[in-house]
Amino acid sequence: MGRFIVNRILISVPVLIGVALILFLLLNVVPGDPVTVMMGEHIKPNLIEVFRERMRLDDPVLVRFARYIAGALRGDFGISYKLNREVGGLIAQSFPHTIKLSVYAALVAWLIGIPAGLFSAVKSNTLIDRAFMGFSLLGVSLPVFWAGLLMQYLFAYKLRWLPVNGYYSLKYFIMPAIVLGWGSAGTVARLTRSNLLEIMKNDFIRTARAKGLKESAVVTGHALKNAMLPVVTIMAMQVASLLGGAVMTESIFGIPGLGLIAVRAISMRDMPLLQGTILFSTALVIAGNLIADLLYGFLDPRIRVE
Amino acid sequence: MNKKITVLIAVVVIAAALWVMNNQRNSATTTETAPVPETSAETPADTTTTESGEGSGGIAANVAAGYENILRLATWDEPNQNDPQKTTEYYSINFQIFDRLVEAVTAGPARSELVPGLAESWEVTDDGLTYTFNLRKGVKFHNGAEFTAKDVKYTFERMLWPETEAKNQDFIDPIKGSTEVMEGTAKELSGVEIVDDYTIKVTLKEPFAPFIASLATPSVSILNMEATEAAGADFGLVPEKTIGTGAYIFDKWVLRDELLVRRNDNYWRGAPELDGISWKVVQDADTMRLMFESGEIDVFDTAVAVSQIEYFANNPKYAGNLAIGDIADTNYYSFNQRIKPFDDVRVRKALQMAVDRQGMLDALFGGRGTLSYGIIARGIIGHNPDLPAIPYDPEAAKALLAEAGYPDGFEMTVTQIANQADTLAKNELFQSMMSEIGVKVTIDQMDSAAWYAVRADGDLPSYATYWAADYNDPDNFIYTFFAPGNTVRRSFNFNNEELSKRVVAARAITVPQERIKEYQALEKAIIQDEAAWIPLFQRQHIFVVNNRVEGFKVSWNGWSDGWYYYEGLRIKP
Repeated sequence: MGRFIVNRILISVPVLIGVALILFLLLNVVPGDPVTVMMGEHIKPNLIEVFRERMRLDDPVLVRFARYIAGALRGDFGISYKLNREVGGLIAQSFPHTIKLSVYAALVAWLIGIPAGLFSAVKSNTLIDRAFMGFSLLGVSLPVFWAGLLMQYLFAYKLRWLPVNGYYSLKYFIMPAIVLGWGSAGTVARLTRSNLLEIMKNDFIRTARAKGLKESAVVTGHALKNAMLPVVTIMAMQVASLLGGAVMTESIFGIPGLGLIAVRAISMRDMPLLQGTILFSTALVIAGNLIADLLYGFLDPRIRVE
Repeated sequence: MNKKITVLIAVVVIAAALWVMNNQRNSATTTETAPVPETSAETPADTTTTESGEGSGGIAANVAAGYENILRLATWDEPNQNDPQKTTEYYSINFQIFDRLVEAVTAGPARSELVPGLAESWEVTDDGLTYTFNLRKGVKFHNGAEFTAKDVKYTFERMLWPETEAKNQDFIDPIKGSTEVMEGTAKELSGVEIVDDYTIKVTLKEPFAPFIASLATPSVSILNMEATEAAGADFGLVPEKTIGTGAYIFDKWVLRDELLVRRNDNYWRGAPELDGISWKVVQDADTMRLMFESGEIDVFDTAVAVSQIEYFANNPKYAGNLAIGDIADTNYYSFNQRIKPFDDVRVRKALQMAVDRQGMLDALFGGRGTLSYGIIARGIIGHNPDLPAIPYDPEAAKALLAEAGYPDGFEMTVTQIANQADTLAKNELFQSMMSEIGVKVTIDQMDSAAWYAVRADGDLPSYATYWAADYNDPDNFIYTFFAPGNTVRRSFNFNNEELSKRVVAARAITVPQERIKEYQALEKAIIQDEAAWIPLFQRQHIFVVNNRVEGFKVSWNGWSDGWYYYEGLRIKP
């Protein structure tokens, strides 16, 4: 088990370097000089030179890449062109907001998704089932930015129950968490339902019923536990999609997380910041998948890695 | 696998999540809290947040616990830093926390007036070369240090040192010795002489009439030598290290969230009436509107979302809440004379006549604005209201094109920065207007980095943009665009040598009437005879101000942010 984890972590290093390299090359191929963007209208040409020299932008791409990797290994991701602050610090500052949003969204997804899936499976093909599944389909299909605006309009502007945007207390996170978690809730509900229905056809369920267990005990004690395996994996892997969705959600609800700085970095051609945020997100996705694998083995001894 | 383990995992996950959140809130309160006035001790930040539900007071109250009398603004794009020398666009904070030697105050709609600031008075020698400034005595910086002549000298020199990487050097490079300092061969400006603590003498390379006006721009805000040097790279980034003499003190900056300035009780002009001003960073126009309508911000700046203008302007509910002012700008389409057929003046004139300015203004801005036929905007010294109108006449345009050898029109490209919906709407209108005379327009969207880079090389095809005044002088318009190097950097490649020479020479004319005459003549020659660009119109800036705020004025140049220190601006009790 320990070796498996170490291996997985070692494999992720070349993946990260590869991502960094592709990104580096891409940013060098696209036209446009970040320095010009930063400098604005009245800049004197000699200052552009001073800046290029300070940032050592005139070295060959590979030299700069090697320098970047060497720095990154020491934890130095450079200084944002646009915000004039250390990229590492910026990420450290914004990440907690993103984590917070993602955790709330995940809670929404599980607390809504699992019970909904359960009810739908037990009452399959009834009105309740249809309603739940329709609701989850809606969640999967609604774009985050649209759902976000609708909710803001209804709950913040019309009903005045919730603040329009911000991140100062739990109340501020209600709408963003629902908006972001709804889609995942839909996925979780559908997955729970189909797995549960599948499991319920098994012999051991018939045995459980035959020995006189109550239906509720059969469902929660025997069926649900088995049905949850793939759901748990999906939930860990949803970290990636939650992070992706967080980009939009953060801009709509003004939560100063990773997504906001990434969007800004892209539009400003802020290379150090962009590289930093993308590398960091890549690492998160790798970690999410690793946790999913480990959880799977932990929950199901049959497939535990030797 | 048993139930206990599942429960255990769930508990651990939830506990970890709560711990992360809690930790983060604690660290937020310790690192982000700058000095707050005593009153806030009675209202801990946490209670404010939990109570703040009912519309007004919510967000600002949280970050600005303890301030009631604050003006709550929203900004689309927060400053990248607040060092006035290093920005060309973010002046919101700089205006408030610094003073200038001279201030341009709003005297009326689109009318500015220069008033003494940190310089009490000044004398200019007859040859227009030497300015002697008598500085105000007893002015204190926010750190308690007294303002003296050495701070002025330091401010000018720092702006020119290459290692500062300052951006608006144009404003003070007329000073003698600036070239040496900019090239790094000298540390001190030979043209600046400290006579005594309160007198400073500035000598220019050659007469430059708008010198005083250009000193009133926020870029030339006066810095404190010791504090700025001590702050180093933190200057402009860390509020308590960003020190000026201004009416407000830079209090707090939570990245991508909110900026806050608080009242300077020892301000030499007298403490402002407001307790402070906050800028909430909101990067979504619809969200911003909802925040305004639910009372979380006091002013909605329609410049961030042209699409919202009609909603507010035609809503009887807001009829009494609009603050409207001219923007001292000129909107135009550029021609790149390096690209055929724009080297032909007949083609340029034809396109000038093919644009329906009024139609464009109506469609894009609900007709709010004035049509332009030149360069110098209304409200700027030297604006010429008698410039002949350029008619909208597609037939005449077609005839002129035929005469130039393009009876069937030609193909051209208009470039723009991607994802700018307002510009795209304008370009599509332009496209359809040009098709009337057989000119086929392709709209090419580029990202901003590429757009600026290609433009700086002089290779960018036509584009639509505008220029709003930095300081009130025609020089700020004519020289910026049509001085030899500048016209290449803007991809105009205007190549009339005689006119270019006159543009440079005009800077040295000192007799006001003669200057104005020359600038108006240049404007007519460049825009109407040479047709160097297609002038369109001058816009208006509309702010929607909620009932809490009294006396809000649009600044003379129509910028989103001005100097929020003027008579009558207050929050209703």
